[in-house]
Amino acid sequence: MVDYTTDELLTILMARQVTNKDVMIVGVATPIVWSAFTLAKVTHAPDAIFHYLMGNTFVWEARQVSLLWLELGAASRCHRLHNTGECTLELLPHDILTTIEFFRPAQIDQFGNTNNTVIGDWHKPKVRLPGAAGIPDFSGLYSAGQHLYVPRHDKRTFVPAEKLFFRSGVGFVDGTRPLTDYGLIGRGPKFVITNLAYLDFDPKEHRMRIKTVHPGVTVEEVQENTGFELLKAPDLKETKPPTETEVRILREKVDPLGIRKLEVLTGKERAELLEEIIRKEYSRVDRMPPRL
Amino acid sequence: MKDKIMSLKEAIELYVEDGDLIGIGGLSFWRKATAATREIIRQKKKNLGVVSFVGGICADMLIGAGCLDRIRTSFIGMELFGLAPNHRRAVGAGQIKVFEETEATIALGLKAIYLKLPFLPLRGLLETDILKVRDDIKEFNCPLTGDKLVACPPIQVDVAIIHVPYADEKGNGNIQGPVWLDDDLAKTAKKTIVTCEKIVETEDIIHFQGKGQIPMQKVDAVVKVPFGAHPTSCFPFYTYDADHMMKYIQYCQTADGFKEYEKEYIAVASHEEYLEKIGGIKEILKIMT
Repeated sequence: MVDYTTDELLTILMARQVTNKDVMIVGVATPIVWSAFTLAKVTHAPDAIFHYLMGNTFVWEARQVSLLWLELGAASRCHRLHNTGECTLELLPHDILTTIEFFRPAQIDQFGNTNNTVIGDWHKPKVRLPGAAGIPDFSGLYSAGQHLYVPRHDKRTFVPAEKLFFRSGVGFVDGTRPLTDYGLIGRGPKFVITNLAYLDFDPKEHRMRIKTVHPGVTVEEVQENTGFELLKAPDLKETKPPTETEVRILREKVDPLGIRKLEVLTGKERAELLEEIIRKEYSRVDRMPPRL
Repeated sequence: MKDKIMSLKEAIELYVEDGDLIGIGGLSFWRKATAATREIIRQKKKNLGVVSFVGGICADMLIGAGCLDRIRTSFIGMELFGLAPNHRRAVGAGQIKVFEETEATIALGLKAIYLKLPFLPLRGLLETDILKVRDDIKEFNCPLTGDKLVACPPIQVDVAIIHVPYADEKGNGNIQGPVWLDDDLAKTAKKTIVTCEKIVETEDIIHFQGKGQIPMQKVDAVVKVPFGAHPTSCFPFYTYDADHMMKYIQYCQTADGFKEYEKEYIAVASHEEYLEKIGGIKEILKIMT
């Protein structure tokens, strides 16, 4: 079996979700998502188009993932410069333009409702998080379903509905009624990719279930790290592991500096990697990230 | 022709009043009007509000310095470097009022100003808790179809502060890279201050990519401040200063720590002194594209 790390597994599983006709929305400070889209673009989805929120731009070409010089690729090689108003309107989940976007929730419940706003009471939060950006606007609208990822699958993130501090992203609400009853025209959350499993939602009960478990992980382990009872898909099986080619292209071409790892690592290890990336990027003579 | 070119000190004295809602352009680490923000802090403006599509170090410094009493952003943070430290502390302590915004509530809030409308409708936010913490955003039924929609109120900015690479003496501002909501902020605000890397002739603006996205008829002051977005970026000249961002976060671990930062980097006699303090030519060459 091919050796791979957690960040590589997540990136590769997310890359596999991209189709050749997608507009791939790259948010701010989400290098796993950017790496996944870039990997998809240089492998199975050559016609997919980057949309950088960072630049409000559409870009055809793929360049190496960068922490410090990303604006060069996003702004000077774009085919269109937007203002955000246009951008918000044009990129609302669309039935004709197939946009793909991944949200990373700070909390998620069994119905796929998410919180990126506060830990604790909104009026006097224990931790004020950055905010949910466009998630409250878009989460109820995706006709192809919402895509979610969680790099650290634990009970702090996967919480029962009553422990969700703030609903900033709407999933299946309380699971009892069709979404159209609430005025929501989207299909609700489609899946959650984590470091332990691929989770989707039971089509009748609208509750989260285990669809596949990653190699080396047990169903019990996934359940133990989840704050509510997970259903099990009737065809529950093991996740198809990353291939040697996927891992190699990701490591060598797409993100050789390992910027994606900043979403997974913590503490001293993360601080050291961050410092190493910064030094390497500032010491480059040619600032433009290499074209792939 | 009215002379719009002036010093940063004059521009902030003339156009920023206590209590104003300031619209700061840019996005988190990118093309933020930081030099203007430091001048606002030096002039000890009070009870300001900030509206930013995505907020970053400007709003955070203003909070740390006690200049803000309210904030309106869809997201505010230090990207992969962490949370906005002063913001997190002040909101946790209930020291500033948060208007929980989203991308669309800000984009539509500004559009409603152009259209002189009391609200613009949005097919979003339904079943989210945003509606519980914003009593000025309301659900309603569409008069034509009966669909459930949400009404987003206008956002009237008092003074927009936008940093751009190029501006002319008439007040045309050219943004070479991402525009974000900067043009809407400038065009809907009651007053607009443009800070720029270079002053050029109008002839040059005509030939630049994107031309004058910030229009002269809406601009009150033009201030030349090279590296006036440091430690954030200004495309196409320089990227953000990651080392200084980390230093800032380190200083801001406590409220007293921010005061130290303020003494060292904000309470300076001139922009030249600031650029010397941050490391001078060596640091400048490090971030140049």
